[in-house]
Amino acid sequence: MHQSLPTRSPLVRKLERFTSLSEADRAALEGIGSHVENVPAHRDLVTEGDRPRGVPLLLEGMAYRYKVRANGARQISAYLVPGDMGDLDVALINRVDHSVGTFSPCRVAWIKPETLADIQREHSAIARALRIGTLVDEATLREWLLNVGRRSSKERLAHLFSELLLRLQVVGLATENSYALPMGQAELADTTGMSSVHVNRSLMELRREGLIALTGRTLTILDVPALKALAEFKANYLHLEERGAA
Amino acid sequence: MSLQLQPVQVATGSDDAESRLVYDDGLLVAVLVRLSGDHGADAGKWYLEAGFGPVDDPHPPTFADLHEAQDWIARQLEPQS
Repeated sequence: MHQSLPTRSPLVRKLERFTSLSEADRAALEGIGSHVENVPAHRDLVTEGDRPRGVPLLLEGMAYRYKVRANGARQISAYLVPGDMGDLDVALINRVDHSVGTFSPCRVAWIKPETLADIQREHSAIARALRIGTLVDEATLREWLLNVGRRSSKERLAHLFSELLLRLQVVGLATENSYALPMGQAELADTTGMSSVHVNRSLMELRREGLIALTGRTLTILDVPALKALAEFKANYLHLEERGAA
Repeated sequence: MSLQLQPVQVATGSDDAESRLVYDDGLLVAVLVRLSGDHGADAGKWYLEAGFGPVDDPHPPTFADLHEAQDWIARQLEPQS
């Protein structure tokens, strides 16, 4: 898939879905990522047990939060797409309690907690939008818990693909029905709490039913309403239409 | 310990059908399914489709052959010391 990068910062694009931002707000957000780092695929941005080094803001690429058992079994609990950040209040804790890894090469801006605090104090709209972002992260985790605990193999993948379509559209990284999917089957398995074998079978079923096409690392959703219906996908938890709310 | 294997076909909703019911002293302890050509590098391996009691595993393994699968199942069935 060839797509031009969004002209504005993905963080601005994301937060503007939550609230109206002034020119000054936007300028403050554009300048937030002064310490930008390129991180290769399959590396840890944050490792459980580390001292927090700031708040990572993903500018390009895709990353994920995870925990791993002593036997190597891993559960992925969140995806970070461009515009998504690590925990805002990480400065309040001494050691991070989970890891963040990269699916693909990423560009990451590390934000100092005090910079973030200053911006939130001086820009109330940004503070409000960031708080909504935190609520959305928590709501998404609840939705993923429902996914892993109470949906079938096929429904779990259908839900994940439906959610990613919307989240990537917000930051201009998906067409109306297609986007780059940088993770492999083993990583999808760790996301959905299934084995790679079941992920493979479910992907084949979704293909056979004409719901998706997966060519290389590009996912095309051939029937968006049908895929959402299969997953009982309701976008309410992403709170993408909060702009009008007082 | 001697496990008994019974060939069956399992409706997995995929081309993975050739299977073995695995019995331990007459009790069903596992279902192994041979992975079809749909699974790329894993084609031909045996997958723990279901395990019962101590053979249940939230992270079900695949095995290169039935010997490896039986060794693993036997280890799960050993009394915990």
